[in-house]
Amino acid sequence: MTKRILLCDDEIHILRAAEFKLKRAGHAVRTAADGEEAWALLKEELPEILITDYQMPRLDGLGLVERVRSDPATAVLPILMLTAKGFELNHDELARQWNVTAVMAKPFSPRELLQAVERLLEEPACAGGESHGMRE
Amino acid sequence: MPATLSILIGLAVLASALCAALAGWFWYRAERYRGEVERHWDALCRLEPRNLNSDNTASELPPLSTRNPWRGTAERLRDTLLERTRQVQEMEHAQAALEIRCRRATTEYEKIKAMLEGLAEPILVIDDYGEIVLANRSAENLFHFRTDALESRLLAQVVECRKLVQLVTGTARRATATNRAEEVELSDDEGNTRWYRVTATKLSPPQRDDGVAGPGARGTIAVLRDIGEQKTLQKRNAEFVSAVSHEMKTPLAGIKAYVELLADGDAEDEETREEFLGVISSQADRLQRLVENMLNLARIEAGVVKVAKEPQSLNELLEQALHVVQPAAEAKQIELASDLSPMYLGVLVDRDMLLQAAINLLSNAVKYTRESGRVTLRSRLDDNEARFEVEDTGVGLSEEDCRRVFDKFYRVGAQKNMASGTGLGLPLAKHIVEDVHGGHLRVRSILGQGSTFSVTLPCVGQMT
Repeated sequence: MTKRILLCDDEIHILRAAEFKLKRAGHAVRTAADGEEAWALLKEELPEILITDYQMPRLDGLGLVERVRSDPATAVLPILMLTAKGFELNHDELARQWNVTAVMAKPFSPRELLQAVERLLEEPACAGGESHGMRE
Repeated sequence: MPATLSILIGLAVLASALCAALAGWFWYRAERYRGEVERHWDALCRLEPRNLNSDNTASELPPLSTRNPWRGTAERLRDTLLERTRQVQEMEHAQAALEIRCRRATTEYEKIKAMLEGLAEPILVIDDYGEIVLANRSAENLFHFRTDALESRLLAQVVECRKLVQLVTGTARRATATNRAEEVELSDDEGNTRWYRVTATKLSPPQRDDGVAGPGARGTIAVLRDIGEQKTLQKRNAEFVSAVSHEMKTPLAGIKAYVELLADGDAEDEETREEFLGVISSQADRLQRLVENMLNLARIEAGVVKVAKEPQSLNELLEQALHVVQPAAEAKQIELASDLSPMYLGVLVDRDMLLQAAINLLSNAVKYTRESGRVTLRSRLDDNEARFEVEDTGVGLSEEDCRRVFDKFYRVGAQKNMASGTGLGLPLAKHIVEDVHGGHLRVRSILGQGSTFSVTLPCVGQMT
C-alpha cells in the first residue's frame, strides 16, 4: 500500500539512494535538503512518516523534530532519524525527550530502511517514546 | 717585800709587754690575712667574666696563705662564682646556638614560602583536623581567602567544592602516608569553570626507634594542577575524531547503500546502474581525499613529507582547483568566478600540495557561502610576489575566529552545523603555503559579509 514519505538529508547521494529504494517499493516519496525545506513540505504534503538526517544546514534534525512535535498537526507523526553521529547521540533521550520513533545509524542498508519504514507504518499511530531495534 | 713587789711589778710589765707583743702579732696576722683576702677578691673582681674559668683563674689570683682562716670561705666563694659563671656561659652558648638554628629555620621557612608563592599551582596544607596551616598566594586567590596566623580556618569553610574537600580531608584522616588524586571542576566569580587535577599527599612523620612518631613534617598537602589545556585538547581531539568519523561515514554510507541497491538488482536499466556506479566512485574519491588530507597534515607536521618543487604556472594550477570545486558550487547555485591574472605567474611549488591548498580554500569558501552567493578566485603579480585570493560572500568570521581559524581541529562554533568538516582543511593549507613553500596565508573577514583568504608565494621567472 502506497505511503507518503518525506525524506530529508543534505547529502544528495544518500537522499537519492533512500528515495530510489522507497519509490521502488511503491511509496510516494518527497525529498528535502535541509530542515527548513522539510518543514515547508511537511505542512503541504502531510506525510505519513518523516525520515531525517541529524546534521544539516539551516535547520538541523533536532530542530526539525522540535518543530514537528510542537505542532498539533504533526505531533504524533512517526519520525525515523538517520544519523552518522553514532554513540554521540543518546538514542534513549531522543526517544524520551523528542519522541523520535526510531534511530538508524549511517552507513545504512536501504533494504533495512525500507523494512523499518514499513514496520513503523504498520504499527498504530506513534505512541511516543517507543524505540525500535535499529540502534547501533 | 719591796723585792717581791719589784718582782711582781717586773712580772706585770713583762706580762703587759708580752700581751702587747701578742696583740701586735695577732693584729699583724689579722691585717695580713685581711689584705690577702682583699687582694684576692679585688683580683677576682677585676677578672673579665670571659676569663673566669678554673684553668686560668688559679694562676692569676694572688695566693692565700695556708693559715689564712678566710681561705676556705674565699675559695668556696671563688668556686661558686666560677661555677655560676660557667653555667651562664653555657647558657649563652646554648642561646647563641638556638639563635643560629632559629635564623636558619626562619630562612628555610622564608625560602620554602617564597618557593610556594612562586609556584603557579595552588597549594594548601592542612593538619589532621582539616584546618589550613599553609596556603600559597595562588590558593588564596583561587579560593578568595587570606591565611591568618591568629585565626585558623577549616578547609571546608574556604573551599566550596565538596569533592575536593572530601578528597583532602579523607586523605588527612588516613592513618598512614598515602596520596590520592582526582579531577575537579572549579568555577570562579564570573562563572567560568576550570579543570584541576588535585593530588592530596598525607605526610608521614619520621618514626623514632621506639616506634613513636617523632618530630617532622606532618599534615596533608593538596596540590592543584590546572589541566584546562589538557581538557581542551582532549575535547578537541574527541571533536576531531567525531568529525572525522562523520566525514568518513557519509561517503561510506553512499558506497554501502548503492552497492546494496546494485546487489539487490534494484537498478534494472543500464543507465541507473551507470549512475549508481558513478556515485560509488565519487564517494570513494571523497573518502580518499579525506584520508589524504589527514595523512598529509600528519606528515607535514611530523616533517616527513617528501616535497618535489618544480616551476609551475600558478594560473594553470588555480584553474584545475576551480574545476575540482565547480560541482559543489553548482549544487548550491554559487557563482564561482575566476579573475586570473593575464600574466604568467611562475612559482616554484610542489604541484600536488599547492593544488590541495587551493582546493581546500575554495571548497571552504563554497561550504560557508549560502545558496546563490559568490566565490571569486583572483590571481595577481604583487611586488614581485605571486598572490592569489579566494573571496566569498559567505557568513564571515569574527575577530576571534580569524585568529583561530588556522588552528588544527578548530571549527567556528556558529557555523558548525552549516557544513561538515574536520577542521583540517585550513591548517593543512597554511602548512602547505607557509612551512613548505615559504609563503603567507592570511585571512580578513567581516562577520555576515564574507571572508577573503589570500596567499602570497615567491615568484620565479615571470613572463607575459
